[in-house]
Amino acid sequence: MNTPSDATKLRLTGVTKSFFTPRTGTTTLAVAEMNLDIQTGEFICIVGPSGCGKSTVLNMIAGLDQPSSGRIEKDGHAITGPGADRGVMFQDYALMPWQTVEDNVGFGLRHGTPGEHLSAKQRQERVAHFIDLVGLRGSEPKYPHQLSGGMRQRVALARLLANGPDILLLDEPLGALDAQTRLILQSELLRIWGETSPVSERKTAIFITHDIEEAVLLADRVVVMSTHPGRVREVVTIDIPRPRAGHARTNPRFGALVEHIWSLIRDEAYRAIGGGASVEPASHETTH
Amino acid sequence: MKHSVDNRTGVIVRNLALPGLLILVWQLWALNLPVGSPAPSPVKVVQTLGELLSKGSLISATVQSLGRVLMGFAMASVLGIALGLLMGSIRAVRENLDPIIESFRPIAPMAILPIAILWLGTGTPTALAIVAYASFFPVVVNTVHGVSHVDRKLILAARTMGISPWTILVRVVLPGALPSILLGTRLAMGVAWTAIIAAELAVGAKSGGGGSGGIGQMMFVFYAYNIDLNAIVVCMTVVGLVALCIDQIFRVLEKRLIPWRQEA
Repeated sequence: MNTPSDATKLRLTGVTKSFFTPRTGTTTLAVAEMNLDIQTGEFICIVGPSGCGKSTVLNMIAGLDQPSSGRIEKDGHAITGPGADRGVMFQDYALMPWQTVEDNVGFGLRHGTPGEHLSAKQRQERVAHFIDLVGLRGSEPKYPHQLSGGMRQRVALARLLANGPDILLLDEPLGALDAQTRLILQSELLRIWGETSPVSERKTAIFITHDIEEAVLLADRVVVMSTHPGRVREVVTIDIPRPRAGHARTNPRFGALVEHIWSLIRDEAYRAIGGGASVEPASHETTH
Repeated sequence: MKHSVDNRTGVIVRNLALPGLLILVWQLWALNLPVGSPAPSPVKVVQTLGELLSKGSLISATVQSLGRVLMGFAMASVLGIALGLLMGSIRAVRENLDPIIESFRPIAPMAILPIAILWLGTGTPTALAIVAYASFFPVVVNTVHGVSHVDRKLILAARTMGISPWTILVRVVLPGALPSILLGTRLAMGVAWTAIIAAELAVGAKSGGGGSGGIGQMMFVFYAYNIDLNAIVVCMTVVGLVALCIDQIFRVLEKRLIPWRQEA
């Protein structure tokens, strides 16, 4: 075990999660013996084939799920339950359908711990600030069903940031979007996370995706997981200089890193779609 | 503009065509009845309606019944929504109450009437008990259904924002279940209205009072003492029209309370 530095934000030690299915009487090991240290301001992407326990890891960090064994610490203290210091952005947005954009963004500020010490005016200003930041000014009175997928995702992002978490947990947040919207939101995410700011001002982000290019574009380190049970296969450091938004894909390192990560999960990915061992995987061109 | 007005009259004519035709056929049939026959006819029904309205007894009886319905319905709604929220969100409560509720649900409101009369007498308390009993089930069943179908992700999202369980119940579960709850109350209002008429009819058999017993008892009096079929048809029509109005009010309310469902 490496020695903890002051900058260690999150530490996973021997984290194991198994699920018991009463109907079949079987126990499934979803995550096994996961060890990971995440530094303050780091952008971590977790990739891996479906069923590798990516979302389970995220839920445990969020405190929505407890590890069966092992320990998750934030700033040296064990995580025992959910808290607004760890904001989650869900794949399907999880916006309240009965609330307008403005009310959705301010939901945590109005009803949860993040707004406890703020006056109504301060909350309002905060909501307006983050609506502005994600480019949704003018859509405040709209309901989620009146928005496109990309706009809903922006609302979810504004809500996440308005609650002021120091760790952002993002569960395939761009998975449901079309390719162009996705590219735009990737660069906006980097901007909002603080790519151009000093490391000390950045949030700590853990981002789950099945898109390897997306992971290489966004992350400082990519955690590659394998399945049955979910284990850390390799942690790949992405040594492409920042800011990356816009032109990182032209960097020769980009293709090499994507290829390397793909080679780590290729066999399992083929098995997952039922191709079996007889299918010889073609050389990787694109993950889309 | 003229075009749309024409359209609207067209729609009204089309929607009234069948009821109008049926009333016409009924009147033609009634014209061939022997003189002095007690069988109802549209013309006689309208005449009787005029008489009952001028005496004021029809309106006071309707108001009496409606008041009982609203009161019993309100009691059932408060209890049904509260219990439904608890049952839907706390497993132990659901597993304890579900067998009890499901075993009472098939018992018709009329079947508890004997007990209600013995315990509460033949007046308003019995009528309220019957109405509340009848309308409780649609409310509680639909509330539980609505709560259990609230998107789990919304509750998880709220938990990650540091929102307390009680606030989640009020701010996430309740609005999430609201469409289902409103459906339950609309169904409940329908059964409340049928239950009050039946309850008053039955109670009327015992006390034999006048208009003060509500519209159901009024019908019983016309049946048992006067054999005035025209007056009974008047009562039936009023019951139907009031139910129609209540249902329309609920539909408007639903649109007001669930604006996010408008064009989903």
